[in-house]
Amino acid sequence: MNLVRVGAVIRRHWLILWRSPHRWFEIAFWPVMDVILWGSLGYFIAQENEASRASIPYLLAGLMLFWTLTQVQMTGSTTFMEETWTRNLLNVLTTPVKPLEYLAGTSVFGLAKLFLTLLTLTITTILLYGFDLRAVGWSVIPIVTLLVLNGWALALVVIGLILRFGQSAEILTWGLNYVVLAVSGVFFPVEALPAGLRQIANVLPTTHAFAAARDVLDGNGVPWGRLGISLMGTVVALILATWFGAAMLRLFRSRGFVTRYS
Amino acid sequence: MSSSLVVDARGLVKVFKGQPAVDQLDLAVPAGARLGLLGPNGAGKTTTLLMLLGVIAPDSGEIDIAGHRLPHGRSKAMEHVGFVAGYLPLPENLTVREALSLFAGFAGIRKPTAIVEEAIETFNLTELADKRNQELSSGQRTLVSITKAILHKPRLLVLDEPTASLDPDMAARVREALLVIHRRDQTALLVTSHNMREVEALCERVILMSRGKIVADGTPAAIATQFAVDDLEGAFLAVAAELREGGAR
Repeated sequence: MNLVRVGAVIRRHWLILWRSPHRWFEIAFWPVMDVILWGSLGYFIAQENEASRASIPYLLAGLMLFWTLTQVQMTGSTTFMEETWTRNLLNVLTTPVKPLEYLAGTSVFGLAKLFLTLLTLTITTILLYGFDLRAVGWSVIPIVTLLVLNGWALALVVIGLILRFGQSAEILTWGLNYVVLAVSGVFFPVEALPAGLRQIANVLPTTHAFAAARDVLDGNGVPWGRLGISLMGTVVALILATWFGAAMLRLFRSRGFVTRYS
Repeated sequence: MSSSLVVDARGLVKVFKGQPAVDQLDLAVPAGARLGLLGPNGAGKTTTLLMLLGVIAPDSGEIDIAGHRLPHGRSKAMEHVGFVAGYLPLPENLTVREALSLFAGFAGIRKPTAIVEEAIETFNLTELADKRNQELSSGQRTLVSITKAILHKPRLLVLDEPTASLDPDMAARVREALLVIHRRDQTALLVTSHNMREVEALCERVILMSRGKIVADGTPAAIATQFAVDDLEGAFLAVAAELREGGAR
């Protein structure tokens, strides 16, 4: 891996972000709106029922962890899409940059965006609702790590679908996260899902990561068993997503789909 | 392959939806050569170029670029190749200087500033250097595209319709810039164009393609003689007419 080329990929996307004020919305505006929406809902529920005081930390911790997954996935997908939107894909593909170097660059850039997004969320949740994700303690680190890895796996799937089906698959960049939001029990235990969906939820590594955060908030200590299950699922998801992305890249080259973008 | 060849492609075949786009094509480009790849629309020129660049995978055949076998050696091969397409834009919202620096990074150049500044001076881009790419005219954009493709001093410059949509004056400047690069660095040029005069001015050897096959290979004068016409344009029109008649049959 050539770090100069990885650095160039990071710089490319940083410059795009820096020069495009509307792209800051997903770092500094939409997260704030989500905090207001879910924080106020939690506040309302807590007021109605003393037994539901935990709803605010449940909702806000879930929201912050959901944004972790979302931001990493969206950045991974949209950085690639940026090359197609600006018809720069052929320019990049004809340089020595390897697919792995490109992914490494966009992943590091995604982590930088994630840091900024979590900063926005942390400040907003503390100021508006007095909630600090650090209440989860050090166990937030493995939980966030698992969600970052799952975000990368989802991004690889989306990129693979765009390579195969073209721009019509871009909608999944935003849609796929909401499937995870609904099925992974971001804000609630799996038991609250309709019976048929529980089976699906239980095999998703994201479900166990979100549940682990709620366990810690409930004061039950770090559920290492749950985190272990999530890790195993995450490894499987990453392997499958990498295989899928690589297969779609081979198909992209074999069928000459690059001409869609030139 | 011979070390004197920057491109050595053998038996290239590419079929799209049952139609052969490239059919058993052999192509060798010696170091420092100036080669034109011509043919009517659909002849297989761009598919050939994209296979040589590792962007499209051939169905069969072998490609060595600067001694590196594709597809596994693609990254190493591209360290010796620059690509310019007249129809491709440059990244928006970046200044010319930033875009050049970025592509130098993509090429793996560790400290690009001096190289970028030298290139800006060589190609008289000083006044454009701080302009954003979307503010450039087509001709200026082409000059910047060529500049970004030669920062790493490639052994081969692949040019797909480099002067498409340029006025004659700007097209002449672009051709002059290409010849400067060729003379200075002994860079091989592989050019596709629909402008026959341009190809005659730029290339010492021409390959004429039709239906994915090579139908003529030689100097512009030799090809004109082969088709019993006055010049390269006459040869091109003869091939296009044959293609139309073949299609009508």
